[in-house]
Amino acid sequence: MHKVLVIGLDCFDPGLVEEFLPELPVLGRLIGAGEFHRLQSVDPPTTVPAWMCAFTGKDPGELGVYGFRNRVDHSYEGLHIVTSETFRAPTVWDELGRMGLRSIVVGVPGTYPPRPLRGLLVSGFLTPSTDHDYTFPRSLKFRIERVVGKYLVDVRNFRTEDKGHIIEEVYRMTERRFKLMAALLSEEGWDLATFVEMGPDRLHHALWAHHDRAHPKHDPQSPYVDAIRDYYRYVDERIGELLELVPDSTQVIVMSDHGIQAMYGGIAVNEWLIRGGYLGLKEYPEEPTPMRELIERGLVDWSQTVAWGEGGYYGRIFLNVRGREPQGTVPPGEYEAVRRELAEGLSAITDERGEPLGTRVLFPEEIYREVRGIPPDLIVYFGDLRWRSIGSVGWGEIHRHENDTGPDDANHAPYGVFIAFPPLAGDPPTLVDIHDLILNYFR
Amino acid sequence: MGSDRVTLKIPRPLYERLRCVIEGTGFRSVNEFVVHVLRDLVAEAEESSPALTPEEIRIIRERLRKLGYL
Repeated sequence: MHKVLVIGLDCFDPGLVEEFLPELPVLGRLIGAGEFHRLQSVDPPTTVPAWMCAFTGKDPGELGVYGFRNRVDHSYEGLHIVTSETFRAPTVWDELGRMGLRSIVVGVPGTYPPRPLRGLLVSGFLTPSTDHDYTFPRSLKFRIERVVGKYLVDVRNFRTEDKGHIIEEVYRMTERRFKLMAALLSEEGWDLATFVEMGPDRLHHALWAHHDRAHPKHDPQSPYVDAIRDYYRYVDERIGELLELVPDSTQVIVMSDHGIQAMYGGIAVNEWLIRGGYLGLKEYPEEPTPMRELIERGLVDWSQTVAWGEGGYYGRIFLNVRGREPQGTVPPGEYEAVRRELAEGLSAITDERGEPLGTRVLFPEEIYREVRGIPPDLIVYFGDLRWRSIGSVGWGEIHRHENDTGPDDANHAPYGVFIAFPPLAGDPPTLVDIHDLILNYFR
Repeated sequence: MGSDRVTLKIPRPLYERLRCVIEGTGFRSVNEFVVHVLRDLVAEAEESSPALTPEEIRIIRERLRKLGYL
């Protein structure tokens, strides 16, 4: 029986792979003798739920997981952080376990707290810290410390102008994760080994304007103009080292959950709703305040509220529906008309100069095979994700060019990377096809 | 024969290792030790619900905010 090794690189971008390919000998070899496709992500193209969509074969609607935080009821405070228990669908390693096959799973977002499996699991970056139990079996934690010292689930102190610190931290994290994988691949028996490295995502967000010569904030004198390119070369070398440790017959997949693109600013979605008369506040905050805080402090006048929004790389709009939300105002019979009106209004937001943003507004029931749990009423890609959604209120304006959560000049793009050696898929797969590709390989 | 107990089979080498582990402890048999450990494991799994403590939620939420996801 052959083995499958899935090298997951969060946010690894197909355009950058093409651009840097002459300097990526290992990936170049895999692509040359294998296949390379753009891998269409899910909506929203974001780390959670994207990786679990890949490994369960279910779209976000089928999983009922629409982001890092989800509504669990129709209360106004009901956004809960996703854990491994949120994902009810069997993963590919659950199914392989039933077939008697053994998996090594490291760093997949959405696997904390660790659930038992036939094999080993190290949970992903939503692990609170390595002081918590983040492995299955628990004893694996001590072995990890012996192999890599302090294991980094994520970069520490990400939002800083000290780019040198972020670069050092990303390299440290990546080096230790690959070192751990090297140890597990050589010392363990396994059929499937899969891991997700967060480094590319962190570096893209922190350094995009340094890399992208067309970005308004680009400074050609920056010492970091080649930082992303250098990191891709570094990752290429590390992949080469891992491949030395697995049998030649191993089916290798290098993949990402989404790509990256320039981000030009943010749309303060709740400011827009306030101006349109859709969102009522008892008092407008004196300084920028997260929406969640306004809700918790009782400052939202729900009797005057039709809808409110959430921030993030994409926007989410929730309607305040009578009989559904505690103080709903929108009559159920008018729900669809109000939703269409909001979608049209959001799509029509321009940039400061009056130029169209190219915003896309998605209706959950139109994009998912099934809609489980409590989806947002609308999903909004401002500027087709070239702008982010800003949830906080108090800016006094709708357009922002400084992020409300710190410096960031990049947003997610809907296509990730799929490289397989030997060729596995044939036609370009989508992210949710990964589950079947792996499973069918073993059948 | 009571039906309130079942027999589990474990590999002999593991059994021998466990016998060494409990030597000199209060456990009178590997059987007793294994039941004790498994009871502890199950209790812990049941107690750990809900999945995240308020402190864990605070740590994760702050991290997600700083990363730009929220």
